Amino acid sequence: MGELASSRALSVEPSQGECGQYLTFYLQDEMFGLNITPIREISEYGKVTPVPMVPNYVRGVVNLRGNVVPVIDLPARFGWPSSPLNKRSCIVIVELSTADRGAIELGIVIDSVSEVLDIPAENIGSAPSFGAKVRTDFISGMGKVGDDFIVLLNAEKVLSLDELSQLEQVAKTAP
Amino acid sequence: MSDILDQAHDTFISECFDLLAEMETNLQQLQVEPENPELVHAVFRVAHTIKGSAGLFGQDEIVSFTHGVENALDRVRDGLLTINGRMIDLLLECRDHLERLIEGINQPPDRALVDDSRRLLDQLKQLCSNVDKAQQSPADDPTAAISAKPPAEYTADVDREQDLRVSNCNWHISLHFGVDVFRNGMEPLSFIRYLGQLGRITSIQPVVDRIPCLEQLDPESCFIGFEIDFDSDTDKQTIMDVFEFVADDSRISILPPHSKLADYAELITQLKLENANYRIGELLTKSGALTERELNQALAQQQSKVASEAHLPLGQILVEQGSIDRSTLGVALAKQKREKERHHHESKSIRVDAERLDQLINLVGELVIAGAGTQLKAEQLGDEGLQESVSVVSRLVEEIRDRSLRLRMVHIGETFNRFNRVVRDVSRELGKTIRLEIQGGDTELDKSVVEKIGDPLTHLVRNAIDHGIESSEERTRAGKPAQGTVTLKSYHDSGNIVIEVADDGGGIDADKVYRKAVERGLVSEAQPLSEAEKLRLILEAGLSTKDAVSDLSGRGVGMDVVKKNVEALRGTIEVESQLGQGSTLRIRLPLTLSIIDGFLVGVGDSSYVIQLDSVVECIEFAKLETVRQHGGHYINLRGEVLPYLNLRALFGDQDGHAERENIVVVRSGGQKAGLIVDQLLGEYQTVIKPLSQIFARLSGISGSTILGSGDVAMILDIEALVKEAERGGHASA
Repeated sequence: MGELASSRALSVEPSQGECGQYLTFYLQDEMFGLNITPIREISEYGKVTPVPMVPNYVRGVVNLRGNVVPVIDLPARFGWPSSPLNKRSCIVIVELSTADRGAIELGIVIDSVSEVLDIPAENIGSAPSFGAKVRTDFISGMGKVGDDFIVLLNAEKVLSLDELSQLEQVAKTAP
Repeated sequence: MSDILDQAHDTFISECFDLLAEMETNLQQLQVEPENPELVHAVFRVAHTIKGSAGLFGQDEIVSFTHGVENALDRVRDGLLTINGRMIDLLLECRDHLERLIEGINQPPDRALVDDSRRLLDQLKQLCSNVDKAQQSPADDPTAAISAKPPAEYTADVDREQDLRVSNCNWHISLHFGVDVFRNGMEPLSFIRYLGQLGRITSIQPVVDRIPCLEQLDPESCFIGFEIDFDSDTDKQTIMDVFEFVADDSRISILPPHSKLADYAELITQLKLENANYRIGELLTKSGALTERELNQALAQQQSKVASEAHLPLGQILVEQGSIDRSTLGVALAKQKREKERHHHESKSIRVDAERLDQLINLVGELVIAGAGTQLKAEQLGDEGLQESVSVVSRLVEEIRDRSLRLRMVHIGETFNRFNRVVRDVSRELGKTIRLEIQGGDTELDKSVVEKIGDPLTHLVRNAIDHGIESSEERTRAGKPAQGTVTLKSYHDSGNIVIEVADDGGGIDADKVYRKAVERGLVSEAQPLSEAEKLRLILEAGLSTKDAVSDLSGRGVGMDVVKKNVEALRGTIEVESQLGQGSTLRIRLPLTLSIIDGFLVGVGDSSYVIQLDSVVECIEFAKLETVRQHGGHYINLRGEVLPYLNLRALFGDQDGHAERENIVVVRSGGQKAGLIVDQLLGEYQTVIKPLSQIFARLSGISGSTILGSGDVAMILDIEALVKEAERGGHASA
């Protein structure tokens, strides 16, 4: 796992067909899962350049082989306090396709990567209507692994362009 | 294979659009100088080329339409029709229609379009038939010979020279393709298919005698020929034009209906001369071109001729035989000359796929970044020799950058010229007389900018005509010339390109606009506005509906859209107006969208880029006499009040302080402002990397770039920052 995070840019092979494969990772001791289909690569937490006058869930931008890619602070997006950086922090690059604006790349900061798990469909339950630590619409389902439940994130919602680009009001309130 | 076809198809469409643009320009010019035959030729050439290519792609609708246009133009070329305003209007309409037809190529056929074609063709025909009636005299005018004649006239001729002419009432076309036709990318059958659109092919006989035995057969060579009989009331020139693309290396003889028997004899001779094995006579009778008796007569003539004239050169024979009449020859020669000129012109320019160019420019951008990285490393190493050679390399890279950017530069004149049409049409619609003046058409700017500026400009020009310029009566009353003038002007100004749309109309009543804006709740009455600010209100969205401003002399149709478009190009728009004198809308655009000369500054841990052109000077902050006691943020710069922004504070670091701060004096929208930064890092070639969509609404940052170190730096949008500061209260920092 250590090697996984330290390799500069480890591409995750997209798997064929209907994939119940999820990348699991930790955010402040909580385990989350993200479908691996939109994930392009996991890279070491390198130099993130802050962007002024944006809400706190935008960490900044990174240089991803010549492309400038914004990085989202997931805890801040959930409304939690940001987690401190540690040596296992890394950035998961996700490519989302949008209907009108083509594919866009986004990075999300996570505390540490765990592993890629196969979660069969019958082990995925629907999101609880309340009681979860994140917004219900961010959850695509609850994956049952062993005796634990993993929150499976809905990348489209968590990284919704429309919501992320609502920078204006926040920027206005900034000092 | 289908890829190649697709590509050819795309080329065809884009070429058509280019040609149509050329046609429009020429038609506009024709209005000014209706006597200029070159312009008529040029217009004709466009119609003709489109017809030819459309034929190759089997676009029947376009072919038949352009054919009609061409016919009318032919009359003009022959001096039978004179160019007048009505004619130009009609031709312009035809041009527009043609554009719609070409746009519609990939769509299912549209009934309305077809009806339009019919209507326009009828109008053209009417024009022509008037002339033709007047021209119906039986005079042996050589020009009349190539224009379409009603068959009745031929019958009259035949009566006179019965014994010399054959009874065949069809055209006979002897078509022997050159060996290299395939190699030249031509498909012989497509010509015949196309020919079929001009009339009815009554008989077609393949001539396969030239095909050698299998061992000698080169599959890439063409050995085939056709003897075609063709029923059509078109003229010889038109038929010749069908084969224009292969005319040079193929043997083509076209015999009109009821040709002289001697012509057929000649044809037979020629073909026999080339290849004794041709069973040409047989083919001709088979196809019905000649009767058995005629064939025998012809052969007899041929023999006597061969005996008497021995070996005459082909050209001479042809002329003597009248198979080429003089005017056809003249046209052919002129065409040859034009063709040569065009080749000459073509060799100077190359058509390059815009995408390839973009790829090149992206690469050059990467090269610039990599170059900056190398330079940084060389400086760190401190090796003089290395630094020397790196500086040579970076100078070259800079030059490559400049040159490759220039590849995308086009003259704005082309865009401006389009407005001749807009002005003409709109002013006619409104019953005003308006002249368009164009200045600085040779100013160059990035093609991608040009493409996007067309629509906003159209808006502005239309507005100038619609709302700006008064009616002729009003103008005369005001002591101005009855004819209004709209001026399109373009020039470079400190790294920007400026485009002005000016009119000498009534101007905008700033107070009226202001009152309207107050009424609409766009501004509060308590807010005092300067004259210029009041004028700027016309760019606001709330004032954009027409009824809101129709009682003002001002504009209002979609001005907010114009503003948005211009801002999307990182440009700005200014309004200037004097009541009774006219108004000017000034658009300022960056020269290019991909690379700028920047000035790098450090604030905290980050670097920022300021566009170099907006930097006036840099001063050490401590040396300046600051006026901070009242909480004001301005300094005394040589007796001038200079408001400043503290970037560090603005970007969220309230407490930090660098040891030595500097102030960068920038100019933005006619005013100066200071920016306090920690470090000055010098000039920097900045390759703009667009920011992600999620920053679309972020103002103050216009883009990002990658530094030589691999770090990302934000590009500051000075104007937005200053505006934000102006709006956000006077002590925002």
